[in-house]
Amino acid sequence: MAKYSAQIAGKSKKAAAGFTRPLLLTPSEDMLGFLSGHLGRAALFLITATSVVAVFLIFYFVIRESAPFFFNKSFPAAMARIKEFFTDSGWYPAATEPRYGGLALIVGSLYVTLGSLILAVPLGLFAAIFLSDIAPFNLRQICKPVIEILAAIPSVAYGFFAVMVFAPWLQKSLGFSTGTNALNASVILAIMALPTIISVSEDAMSAIGRETREASYALGATRAETMVKVVIPAAHSGILAAVILGMMRAMGETMVVWMASGNAGRIPSPWWDLSQSIRTMTATIAGDMGETPKNSEHYYALFTVGLTLLLFTFSLNLVSEYLLGKVMKTSRGGK
Amino acid sequence: MEPKSAVPLKKTGAGNAVRPQVAADSAAYVDSGKPAVISAERFSFFYGSKCGVNNVSMDIRTGSVTAIIGPSGCGKSTFLRSINRMNDLIPNTRTEGTLAVNGCDVYDKRTNLINLRQQVGMVFQKPNPFAKTIFENIVYGPRLQGVRSKRRLSEMVEKCLRDSAMWDEVKDDLHKSALALSGGQQQRLCIARTLATKPNVLLMDEPCSALDPIATARIEDLIAQLKGTYTIVIVTHNMQQAARVSDYTAFFCLGELIEYDRTDKLFTNPAKKATEDYITGRFG
Amino acid sequence: MRTQIRQSLDKMFTAFAGSVVLLIAGVLLVVLVPMFRKGLSAVFFTETVEFRKLQMDLHDRGDERTLKQELERVAAARKPIYDILLAFSRGLDMEPRVKEVKNIYQQYGEYLNYRNTPKEQYTECRKQAKEIRDTILDALESMDKQVVLANLDKALAQKGNPTFKDTPVQHFFTVAEQYRKTAQTVDLTKRSEYLAGLRDVTAAIRQLFGPLPGEDEPPLPMDQYGATRMDMARKALHTLLWDEQWIADGPGKPLVKKIIARKTQFTGTELEPLFDRVEKNFNALLLPRHRFYWQYFIDDWVNSHYFGGIGPEILGTLLLTVLSMLFAVPFGVVSAAYLVEYASDNIWIKIIRICINTLAGVPSIVYGLFGLAFFVITISAIGKPCILAASLTLSILVLPVIIRASEEAIRAVPQTYREASLALGAGKFRTLVKVILPAAGPGILTGIILSLSRAAGETAPILFTGVVAMGPIPNFGTPAEWVRNPASIFGGLFQPTRALSYGSYDIAVGDRISMLVPHQQFGMVMTLILLILVLNVTAIVIRSRLSKKLRGH
Repeated sequence: MAKYSAQIAGKSKKAAAGFTRPLLLTPSEDMLGFLSGHLGRAALFLITATSVVAVFLIFYFVIRESAPFFFNKSFPAAMARIKEFFTDSGWYPAATEPRYGGLALIVGSLYVTLGSLILAVPLGLFAAIFLSDIAPFNLRQICKPVIEILAAIPSVAYGFFAVMVFAPWLQKSLGFSTGTNALNASVILAIMALPTIISVSEDAMSAIGRETREASYALGATRAETMVKVVIPAAHSGILAAVILGMMRAMGETMVVWMASGNAGRIPSPWWDLSQSIRTMTATIAGDMGETPKNSEHYYALFTVGLTLLLFTFSLNLVSEYLLGKVMKTSRGGK
Repeated sequence: MEPKSAVPLKKTGAGNAVRPQVAADSAAYVDSGKPAVISAERFSFFYGSKCGVNNVSMDIRTGSVTAIIGPSGCGKSTFLRSINRMNDLIPNTRTEGTLAVNGCDVYDKRTNLINLRQQVGMVFQKPNPFAKTIFENIVYGPRLQGVRSKRRLSEMVEKCLRDSAMWDEVKDDLHKSALALSGGQQQRLCIARTLATKPNVLLMDEPCSALDPIATARIEDLIAQLKGTYTIVIVTHNMQQAARVSDYTAFFCLGELIEYDRTDKLFTNPAKKATEDYITGRFG
Repeated sequence: MRTQIRQSLDKMFTAFAGSVVLLIAGVLLVVLVPMFRKGLSAVFFTETVEFRKLQMDLHDRGDERTLKQELERVAAARKPIYDILLAFSRGLDMEPRVKEVKNIYQQYGEYLNYRNTPKEQYTECRKQAKEIRDTILDALESMDKQVVLANLDKALAQKGNPTFKDTPVQHFFTVAEQYRKTAQTVDLTKRSEYLAGLRDVTAAIRQLFGPLPGEDEPPLPMDQYGATRMDMARKALHTLLWDEQWIADGPGKPLVKKIIARKTQFTGTELEPLFDRVEKNFNALLLPRHRFYWQYFIDDWVNSHYFGGIGPEILGTLLLTVLSMLFAVPFGVVSAAYLVEYASDNIWIKIIRICINTLAGVPSIVYGLFGLAFFVITISAIGKPCILAASLTLSILVLPVIIRASEEAIRAVPQTYREASLALGAGKFRTLVKVILPAAGPGILTGIILSLSRAAGETAPILFTGVVAMGPIPNFGTPAEWVRNPASIFGGLFQPTRALSYGSYDIAVGDRISMLVPHQQFGMVMTLILLILVLNVTAIVIRSRLSKKLRGH
């Protein structure tokens, strides 16, 4: 042992003698490092910017293909077109005197979206409360995959369910004249929007820290009171974002409404009668585009419907982004 | 072997350079007769506007074991992590003064970070082996340096594991995951991994804080074995450990270097009241 | 008191929240169970001998000798049924009978000519034969049993006439005798009713056992075979045994469905024993056997999904998803790595983040429009809806999913890994490639699997960019062609494909024939769901293992 340490001591004289590799860069190394570092970063940045390019391309092409619907004509004619699109509810592109009134489609989209939210928001909120505050850890570990699977089932499968299982049931048990109607589409859309609403609002509620809840409990509030009076008001912007994201999911959904809504292009009347068939923007695009010749008036009109949809969801997206940014700030501030 | 491109700092000399700016009673210099491998010169480190290390000047001798002690949040880790610029990972920081390794200011723009970090190795508070095999963990550094030969790599693995006194324990499990080792073994593996890059200086940031006493003892043995071959700087919150393993000890408090002296002197006869209070347990 | 109310309110709140979660789980079951229950019957079912015949004819599957024996057994068992049917239809269906009688008369003329009968005798014989013919025709046309029997007896009286011995005229008597039998048992006034019933019965028999012996081979494969599956056979048996009628339950009242046993409709007729016979010998007639038809997942359809499987749909879905991943994964992972490891918090990064979120929020049908306008129309190298255009569209759709998942995974890599690698003298890029990406690997993999499942399920984006309901399988050439022209490998990319997602839509809504075969409809959508569930469960398992590892670490 003594010998070994002597050896080490002997080695130390040599090893500690100096640094074998230069600590400073030579000018050429410096230049190379500078260039490769910056070029590499630039390359990575460009790859990352693909998403930006994609967004711009999407907007550009949807606008380009929808522009001739309005702007191929004189100014008053263009204005008349715009007016027709947003105020007329007659969508008869195949008629001898075609009409392109998008109102019924827009109303249809909003109609099923609101219908689904009326169902999904209360259910989603309660489920989020259950997951964030009531369920023990193990139960939560089981519930989460269930909700994930609910979110993962493809929309066409939900549409299939709506047409093949739910519609016949509705027709038989509730005596509707047709099973494919606004109620069917709303219920299925609600199922599809639920996972989004649950997970985002659960995150928002969890972001309200334990301290806030403890403060409320310490003042003698029950769990229900704590949730309703303290946590939900504090998490309101996150919950709102959840609702908006769920709304986006429902509004942008194509297959379910195409298969389950009945595709009748009219505004429901009376407005509360959910058993009527309706037609949404997404279903119109999906249903019509297949048999529309390129660069026809009808084709441009369908792209205009798509543009309307895109603008709707884009603005909703910005709102949700703003709200989620607020949630992030509070959760960071809370920690 | 002094690199050609190295630009020596004016004030960095061998032996006992005169440092008039520092108050005499700080006892920041230790006369050992050996050259300084790391030398801080009025070095300050700022996190944004918060000061982490304040105006520290000290020389660390070649081949010595230097312990840095002090209450938590006193800047001892910050100082240590400045030496191989690990603090670069934290955004929004800046430095003042100079911190030279082998005569080159590490905060120079032209510092070759890769060479610096290879030659100033670091062992962290928590053992942090990669989720790879033991073998892969050790050859990570040599491979970066361009060693490709399988035979040479195996030799290096054996040598490093022998140097870190764990060859006999793991020689049959070289191709098992490093995460399967115990905490103490993981930490020694991290030391072996660092040795594989052939460093001159080893920085140890509370290497035993996450370990049990037996594993700690083995690490301390290891430090004693490595002493002389490597210049070791060890940050520790454990004064007994500092007393056991180090030749010199520096006491930091609130970002400042309070006292720096031979270990035996600092623990038996501290020059400063603050040091005495700390080592006798009256504060911190 | 007040406290009690508050406590019970709290309990109600808890119970309600719990029941909502139960409700959601229930909804999941309600959606999945029928799909799987009916869908699995496309793969696990009881086949009949007809199915074995179909498999042998189309795919050469099965043992030829045993099949031949089975077919012989079945033919023997079916023969009496066909005989009954033939006899009864002979007695009932007048048109062929009238034709037959006229035919016999003509044949007799030819017979006489052939014999070179003298002219006078010829005229006499023909006259007599004509008389018999007309009596029989009168009998056949009449609805009155008395008239019929009188006429037939009158005709049969001529049976002993030596003039007609060994001449075709004898056939007149066979017909007359047969018909007398029918006329004695059958209520002739109900003849038209019987006739309609008989048509249904014959159709049901055809559905059960394939075309009747002696009939021409039908053009559609669905008509060439009888019931291939026992569930369909039972359905056909039901229509054979029971007649559904919509009967007005009094004036002004809605129609009511009534189910009447056909046996009672045909009581006392020759047909009556047929029903019992079929019902009792059902298994002997069809030789059912349990089958796991795994070839469902590789076979092409026959007769637009009436028979066969969904092989090309699965292949198309795999092609589309794998290709889209090929495009999306490199971009997604690199983007995520850049955002976590390199990006500082400046305006560009903010814009990039907003764009990623926007991409995630664009409705899938708008992706379809974009793919149509950009990949299909604008990029002339593609020029038409095809696999390449569809998978490029899908790749943009899943890009944000991959970026988000990879970002999370890379962020989850402990900072100590970065420190360790940097302290060993690795550069930033090397640290990323050698340490961080491998450590984030399982997390990134989870993200990739999830986006794979997303891409597999999407329908709207591929609707106009490269999917068809029916069409040839994309042709990627053969090895011999690849040698001659290496570019031919990629030829398949420029053809449209079928896919599970669009197929599920089409088979549920667009296709008429598939309405007859619910197991085919549910089988397709079950396969899609199964694929996605497997992918998701894999992802969940990888993630839970990962989190355990991280917690243990």
